[in-house]
Amino acid sequence: MPKNYAFIGLFGSGKTEVAINWALKLREEHEKVAIIDGDIISPYFRTRDVAEKLEKLGLVTVYPKGALRNADLPVITGAAIGYLVNEEYKTVIDVGGEENGVVVLGYLKPYLGNVEISMVVNIARPFSSTVDGIIKAYEILRSVARIKVDYLINNANLSYETTPELIHKGEEILSKVSEIIEVPVKFSVVPDFIEEKNFKFPVFKIHRFIEMEKL
Amino acid sequence: MAERVLVKGTEAIGEAAIRAGCRLFFGYPITPQNELPEYMSKRMPEVGGTFLQTESEVATINMVYGAACTGTRVMTSTSSPGFSLMQEGISYMACAQLPAVLVNVVRGGPGLGDIQPSQGDYWQATKGGGHGDYKLIVLAPSTVQEAVDLTVLAFDLADKYRTPVVIIADGVIGQMMEPVTFPEFRNLNTLPKHDDWALTGANGREKHIVVSFDIDPHVLEKMNLEIVEKLRKIEANEKRWEEYKLEDAEIVITAFGTVGRIAKSVVEQARKEGIKAGLFRPITLWPFPYERLEEISKGKKLILDVEMNMGQMLEDVKLAVKDHARIEFYGRMGGVVPTPDEIFEALKKFLNV
Repeated sequence: MPKNYAFIGLFGSGKTEVAINWALKLREEHEKVAIIDGDIISPYFRTRDVAEKLEKLGLVTVYPKGALRNADLPVITGAAIGYLVNEEYKTVIDVGGEENGVVVLGYLKPYLGNVEISMVVNIARPFSSTVDGIIKAYEILRSVARIKVDYLINNANLSYETTPELIHKGEEILSKVSEIIEVPVKFSVVPDFIEEKNFKFPVFKIHRFIEMEKL
Repeated sequence: MAERVLVKGTEAIGEAAIRAGCRLFFGYPITPQNELPEYMSKRMPEVGGTFLQTESEVATINMVYGAACTGTRVMTSTSSPGFSLMQEGISYMACAQLPAVLVNVVRGGPGLGDIQPSQGDYWQATKGGGHGDYKLIVLAPSTVQEAVDLTVLAFDLADKYRTPVVIIADGVIGQMMEPVTFPEFRNLNTLPKHDDWALTGANGREKHIVVSFDIDPHVLEKMNLEIVEKLRKIEANEKRWEEYKLEDAEIVITAFGTVGRIAKSVVEQARKEGIKAGLFRPITLWPFPYERLEEISKGKKLILDVEMNMGQMLEDVKLAVKDHARIEFYGRMGGVVPTPDEIFEALKKFLNV
């Protein structure tokens, strides 16, 4: 079993929600779980914006503390490395979007150790709705980060409008991608408001943490 | 039915602009709107358009000015301090009567401020941020879908009235993701050509001149009067707003943009507790829908204006409501987004319940 888990992907692929939910799942079996906000791209809607909530749920949240929390600076706190190498902790790292965000993973590479790296894909997003688009993103991300992607994650979603049909469509497209690049699909993300359980890939149920008022 | 996609507000505005026929984008990075130029830098080459990152906002707005002189659909986006830097050029464009779409994803201010969402640029956008007598059409979306729709409208209004149009979105609308449907691509050949004034190369015809000045005060006054006449037309024809649960309302919340969205939750919460609240949400901040708000305010118990600033739209609310109803204000500043709960608490305090 890996000690560390990293989630990468394009802008808005849903990395943060998947990373948070994965960390909480790890917490069910492990006493010490840390989640690193490695997002140097998004100015808000990040792990650190729900840090207090996550701390209450038993996670250690790792992000630049104090004034730097809200700074418009690409800061990765030194504590991130501490949690990545500390064998007592299962550590999840949520990396920012696109090639500029994934640079962080390249930088942390010497400390990643026994790590599992997954690329989160949402086919309802621009630039990742087709097999070609996803493969292009995959090639760019893995070469910039200088890492091997272990798994793909089907996170086909339209936020609160997500349907089982969309998730099935995501599975269909990711199956083709998986065949071409020879990277297996780890699971399909299914939001907690969807009942259906009959999916091609294992189901990973998630609860959304980062939300605005709906209309 | 067209496909639903999940997009950020900034990306939504970018794609909508392209669908509306915009093929020129000039911009300079500033948080929290960087995804818009980022998106355009990827997308413009795909549709045969041009994305150019300039060396400053001053350069940006002057490139927009130049491009607009040719009658071509052009856009820029920025955030508060960058919008301040653009004001001189915007005033020039207003005088030269040039169509363009300017996006301001407002952040906390004044000064350098922070990168959190704010509505502190209401005055700057609606009261004339630059020098001289002019107004800009100002559109304020409260959802990502509305950002799409208003972007298309912005280009049409800009062309129709030969005026810069501002889309004022705060950081929340810019950064949040929602499912949207994009309109079809406009056929570029069907866009207004502006044959009667645009600089397209005289080539045999009489030359066109686009200027933002005249040294003869009487001529300059005439130019001013032309602009004023146009503004009156816009005031008469282009006011837009949303009314939500106002039919039986005793309390009216006034709010725009993100706060308009949050206020809907407050209306629901209030109604659950037996307080008949409704929402009046201006969509055009200029021209402001004074007459309709006045009409609505008559006989109401309370008008509660809520904004992410010190009370800027509040001045227009007061001009509209006059002495028809009691007006109170609740606001947060510096990039703090009010929660529905705290707005509801403020409402109850004003009502003494």
